Amino acid sequence: MSASTLIIGAGGAGEAGASDLVVGGAGGKPQPGGATSSIGYFARFGVTEAMIAEALGAALSRGGDYADVFFQHRVSNDLALEDGAVNRAFASVELGVGVRVVKGDQTGYGYSEDLSLAALRTCAQTAAAIADGPSRGAPQRFHVAARLPQRYPLRVRWEEIRPEQKLPILDAVNARVFAADPRVKKVSVHFRDESGAVLLADSQGRIVEDLQPMTLLYVSCLAEQNGQREQGGYNVAGRAGFEFYAPDRVDRVVREAVARTTILFEAAPPPAGEMPVVLAAGSSGILLHEAIGHGMEADFNRKNVSIYADKIGKPIARPFVNIVDDATNENARGAINVDDEGNEAGRTQLVENGVLATYLHDSISARHYGVAPTGNGRRQGYQFPPMPRMRSTYMLPGPHKKDEIIASVKKGIYCQNFTNGQVNIGAGDFTFYVKNGYLIEDGKLTRPIKDVNIIGNGPKVLEMVDMVSDDLQIDEGGWTCGKDGQSVPVSQGLPTVRVSSMTVGGRGKG
Amino acid sequence: MAQNDSMLVIAQDAIALARKKGANEAAAGAYRVRNVEVQWRDGKVEKVSEATTRGLGLELYVEGRYSSVSTSDLRLEAVERFLEDAVALTRKLAADPHRALPDPSLYEGQAKVDLELEDPRYGEVDALRRRKIAEDLEASARSVKGAQAILSVTTAFGDTMAESFRATSNGFVGARRVTDFGMSAQVSVKDPDGRRPEDWDAASARHFTALPSPEEVGRNAAARALSRIGSRKGESALFAMAVENRSAGRLLGFLMGPLAASALQQKRSFLDGKLGQQIASAKLDLADDPLVPRGLGSRLFDSEGIAARRFTVFEKGMLRSYYVDNYYGRKLGMRPTTRGMSNLAWKLGDKGPDALLADMKEGFLVTGFLGGNSNGTTGDFSLGAQGFRVRGGKVAEVIGEMNVSGNHLELWQRLAAVGNDPYPYSASRTPTLVFEGVQFAGM
Repeated sequence: MSASTLIIGAGGAGEAGASDLVVGGAGGKPQPGGATSSIGYFARFGVTEAMIAEALGAALSRGGDYADVFFQHRVSNDLALEDGAVNRAFASVELGVGVRVVKGDQTGYGYSEDLSLAALRTCAQTAAAIADGPSRGAPQRFHVAARLPQRYPLRVRWEEIRPEQKLPILDAVNARVFAADPRVKKVSVHFRDESGAVLLADSQGRIVEDLQPMTLLYVSCLAEQNGQREQGGYNVAGRAGFEFYAPDRVDRVVREAVARTTILFEAAPPPAGEMPVVLAAGSSGILLHEAIGHGMEADFNRKNVSIYADKIGKPIARPFVNIVDDATNENARGAINVDDEGNEAGRTQLVENGVLATYLHDSISARHYGVAPTGNGRRQGYQFPPMPRMRSTYMLPGPHKKDEIIASVKKGIYCQNFTNGQVNIGAGDFTFYVKNGYLIEDGKLTRPIKDVNIIGNGPKVLEMVDMVSDDLQIDEGGWTCGKDGQSVPVSQGLPTVRVSSMTVGGRGKG
Repeated sequence: MAQNDSMLVIAQDAIALARKKGANEAAAGAYRVRNVEVQWRDGKVEKVSEATTRGLGLELYVEGRYSSVSTSDLRLEAVERFLEDAVALTRKLAADPHRALPDPSLYEGQAKVDLELEDPRYGEVDALRRRKIAEDLEASARSVKGAQAILSVTTAFGDTMAESFRATSNGFVGARRVTDFGMSAQVSVKDPDGRRPEDWDAASARHFTALPSPEEVGRNAAARALSRIGSRKGESALFAMAVENRSAGRLLGFLMGPLAASALQQKRSFLDGKLGQQIASAKLDLADDPLVPRGLGSRLFDSEGIAARRFTVFEKGMLRSYYVDNYYGRKLGMRPTTRGMSNLAWKLGDKGPDALLADMKEGFLVTGFLGGNSNGTTGDFSLGAQGFRVRGGKVAEVIGEMNVSGNHLELWQRLAAVGNDPYPYSASRTPTLVFEGVQFAGM
């Protein structure tokens, strides 16, 4: 039940995007570092500092160590093309607030789509039920947190991009994918954009605001050859504006979608059993996300249930293995300017020269361990309290070279593209599913492989990472991480890496 | 049904407003859900949460163009602006002649039965009761033999009251109230080799009194977790595979997903063109049954308002029906059945899991799948698996870090046995399933 999952693309019809609610009116755009009442965006919804103070007062009416109020407005659009035409759109508007009270490591939570004072009070009283002591006062004054980094500034907001600007991209991608190969029989394209605004106010008097864009282009194609059908695709995502879809990116989307589909006709599952596994640079970062990322989330460790619970300070990999979880990659899907508890979010090094260095903390865990929070406190939305989550997880470049790594394998596989993964953080077993790859035979890439799940045990696999190349790539795909019923967008990356042995879920003997 | 429920009024008003803004036809769904949950860990409350949430969604048909939109900002002026923008956006799309509300004749013939989806005693479960259940779940987990190896126990109890309303511009009005009660226990234990395996047990039901006791669920969770200690990888080979009832749902889902008309129409289904063909052994015999009293998937009408009816999906291994919604039905020229699965009613075997393992003699019992995926276009699958080796018809050593793979078009032909034990806490109600000759990958 606590198995955490990672999936690519979030394809299929969405929830809904939304219409173009304009951010505007007086005091529209929040000014970090400005005057105390810079909640201009949310003032449009009738939210004032006085209301926030009252909500926090109600939240702390039975004591507790800390309380926060998290407002969110998220507007999403999805234009979709099927059978040659952009003939459907999905749009959604989410608006709501969550109130949290923390006492020690215990949490009370209430949320609502109604932003009235009465509803805020009800949420606050619900959350206050976790505590059982004398009232603590609400903060008298609020201060806006120091100027936030700007890791995803937009030249033009998505609300101001008209459908007429987006439609040609979908139509062009469709035409070009069909034109690329006569075997292509079906194409579907999704163009998604999202504008989010969040405001957090807490019992320390802190106010934090952030505008959070996201966009994703997803192409799926179905090809047919001699009665055989294969389906593949490609997707790109980022916290970026319309300029994200520069010609070279769109070219790549078309090229990769077709190539990753048509190669499947030549591919077969690899043999079953243990063998060396070489992971191509880029989205193979899924290895890290599953093998160690979740296991290093501090909540699992303070609860004593992670296989990494007693390994801080211990060497767990070769000295040339360095693994980070990073919020700072500009425009990355996993980037955040600030976490969803208002904490600074930077670059956290999980593994330093092969030694396990730090967990990924939210505030509760940071307090438990007596360390500074690492800015990993994230939530799917206002309906949920935050917990430790990853952002952009990758391994730093190492001393080897890609060609050297492939040449070193007598009989194994080379993994290039993935769809999903999962981990049990207690036993440590994790898997990732390989959509495209190659057999390696006598140091050379030979036959293409497809549709195979790889399974291993986290700490064992980390010990068996015995070659790391210098070609780090952070994948540009639309990865979504699931944990405890909450989904968050993430990024991942890896240089070309060799794991000396993993179990390959293929068929037959090699 | 409360004709004047405020959420139904919101839905109906939204349709009128959408039409005023230029939509020719529209369907609206509104919901109100109250959820309360308590989570408990190692002797104290971990989390309490409560909320009543509301939302509104519309399907808009504007001059032959279609969009689906939703909002949780239900202030009147916000909804008005929202619909104006949504209709304007829809006008910019390409027309789609296959988009239409279901023909009203499809709404007719709704069964007149009480599905008992709402527990009349829902309001009697209070905070103290929830907390006591969560506490008892932990106490029971810690009462089992071997409990000294337990590192942590997390339990939860929650209940939900969900009300949903649907109205369409071609005459459909429907409402549904369902209650849901759920409990769970998750136990982590210490393996002397340093690993911390875990397992869980859970139960959910529409009526509070239909839940098993916390004692049963707590003890099961702990016993299962303790049985994971010392797990090893097995050898790579072809083996018979028994899949525990509660894990079989995932495997079955890979066979059911490609039955969707959307997958057929987009040529992404390995079951395309196979109506009337033998897909599985004669042991696979199941129907989609929306009218099971208290069923977790039960309904009188589906998400499009189409009257819900029982139909055969697999009959002695032959594929009898697809899941056809209105839109893809029109694209394919097929009459709609329903878009999504309701409950599954199986022709059960007459043996329980122990007897099935005795018959199987040698192989694996899979008690959990981990990650992996199934290719809906080709039927290829590869899944992480854990469980137990079966030797001489009995559960033997505990196994983990393995993988099973194959192709569904072959796998289900080798379905050797179906148990008598449908998993009650799911809509698919899968029994234990036994397959012959499955590829296991390990050492």
